[in-house]
Amino acid sequence: MIDAQLLISGVIFGLSLGSIYFLLAIGLSLCFGLMRIISLDQLLYYSFGAYMAYTVGLATGSFWCGVAAGTVVAGLMSFIVERFIFLRIYARDPTFSMITSFGLLIGGIGIIKFFWGVVPRPVEAPTLIQANVFGTAVPVYRLIVIGFAIAVYAGIWLFLHRTIVGKAIRAAIESVEHVEGLGINVSRLFTITFVIAGALSGLGGGLHAPLIMVDPMMGLETMAFVFMIVIIGGLGSIKGTLISALIVGQVVSLGSIIYAPMAQMAPFVMMLLVLLIRPTGLYGSPLYKR
Amino acid sequence: MLDTFAWWRGIALMIALLCGLSLVLPLPFMNEVVIFTIYVVGCNFMIGRLGYISFGQPAYLAIGAYSTAFYLFYFGSSPLVGILFGVLGGLIGSLLIGPFFVRLRSDYFAMVNLALAVVVFYLTEKVLVSITQGDNGLWFMTQMTSTPVLDLTIPAQFLVFGIIVTAFVFAFYKYLDGTIYGSCCLATKLNEDKLQFIGYSNFSIRFLGFVIANTTTALAGAMYAVYLGFVSPEMGSPSRAADPIIVTLLGGVGTLFGPVVGAIAYTGMKDVISKLIGNWELFIGFLLVFIMLVADKGIWGTLEPILTRVVSPRSRNTDK
Repeated sequence: MIDAQLLISGVIFGLSLGSIYFLLAIGLSLCFGLMRIISLDQLLYYSFGAYMAYTVGLATGSFWCGVAAGTVVAGLMSFIVERFIFLRIYARDPTFSMITSFGLLIGGIGIIKFFWGVVPRPVEAPTLIQANVFGTAVPVYRLIVIGFAIAVYAGIWLFLHRTIVGKAIRAAIESVEHVEGLGINVSRLFTITFVIAGALSGLGGGLHAPLIMVDPMMGLETMAFVFMIVIIGGLGSIKGTLISALIVGQVVSLGSIIYAPMAQMAPFVMMLLVLLIRPTGLYGSPLYKR
Repeated sequence: MLDTFAWWRGIALMIALLCGLSLVLPLPFMNEVVIFTIYVVGCNFMIGRLGYISFGQPAYLAIGAYSTAFYLFYFGSSPLVGILFGVLGGLIGSLLIGPFFVRLRSDYFAMVNLALAVVVFYLTEKVLVSITQGDNGLWFMTQMTSTPVLDLTIPAQFLVFGIIVTAFVFAFYKYLDGTIYGSCCLATKLNEDKLQFIGYSNFSIRFLGFVIANTTTALAGAMYAVYLGFVSPEMGSPSRAADPIIVTLLGGVGTLFGPVVGAIAYTGMKDVISKLIGNWELFIGFLLVFIMLVADKGIWGTLEPILTRVVSPRSRNTDK
């Protein structure tokens, strides 16, 4: 039905898309797992990462400088936002943080429009070489993106399982009170997690920039997909996020090969099916009520 | 808080406020306020009574608007029947969607609704282009016939109709608050375990509330369609998903008349500020953050206790 070359390039495309989505969704997922907040402003750091990749990349001539700048700026922004805004609402209901962060996202889009205007900006990929994968020409850049996602997953895994801070974060996901009782500064753990999440979102935005046009609404457009991934995977689960990011990436990519408008719809249908069977997502924990 | 005024007195006051304002303020502004009020009432009910925050209200608005538009564009010409179709469409839509959504926790619920809004937007813009005409929208301004008593095609008479509908909507919600069902809604927000223990089903209470709230939203969509004379996918755009929530918070969550006050304040600010600066999102976003951090009771939530004291001093100790 579909010839092999189209299928292979579709799979690679889906993997690279899933990798970007994973970088964004992991932030949302970590924030929910640890702080019980739904941090929609990750999408703002994503947009800023992409715009930094555009501006700094253009100024210095090196795309990778732009991505690095985007990651750093996103991390700084998330640090400021966490200190000044989220610190005041940790104790409240998760939906509360959702509204606040949505306000931040909308306000941030206003800032982006103020600085960069509404015109979409193209970002040039750092390498245009095509690699040969099973007899199909595939852009090397997409493979690099996939590599980044694998490195980030490995890094996060090592951080959470091999360092003392990571172990504290994992323990705090189980029970914040116990960790606090052991004399660990939970507030600092929250800040560290939030900054990591923000920086990863910025990295995702920077890496995504050459694959799409950078425009102010990119955060809102991506939000729906990132949401679906977090919901399908289950809030607070890193493994679930990775798996569902890869699945959604493939569904979008292969779906668009079969029937173009389906790319927008298929993940939603999938999400409905998953939620019908498991209301907390694939790997979501049932312990937390409402 | 629930029985601040005798129910008719409060509604009469609100209607008087709307009528009084419509003498002073321009007509398009008032029409916008009236429709927006109905739009927000549904959202307010879900947040304040059911404890569900929905980022997908534009989806239900679009369902109502497109149901009306399909009727007026392809089949008939009477705006009243069109509105009826819009309400019917919203009812059927929420009956179909409801069972899947109300099983979810409130944070999942908010996200799933947002996803629904995106899907409805794409459906109307891209997938169903053959019948919705995509970004061009459906224009049926000239196809609407005038109705006998109140001519809905004339904005001035539409406003009268809008105020009457608003009065009915308020009377209905006020009535709901007084019934056992209204108390159950509040209970399911506050403590679902206890409610279940008493013997009520959380699922059916939420499902009914979901259907009521979203049918109201669809009614607002239908009225938008008739008032503007056209519909386009822009109406259900997910980027406007925050509007009803902002207005709810601005007016005061869970208060009956918060939506009116919020809608007047919000529409007014939008008019004033969009004249001053073009960058509307910037303001809205930070207003939302500000409300969440500082004044989470809203305008009406702050005013109501003061008004109660002025209007009926004796009930001071009995309210709440």
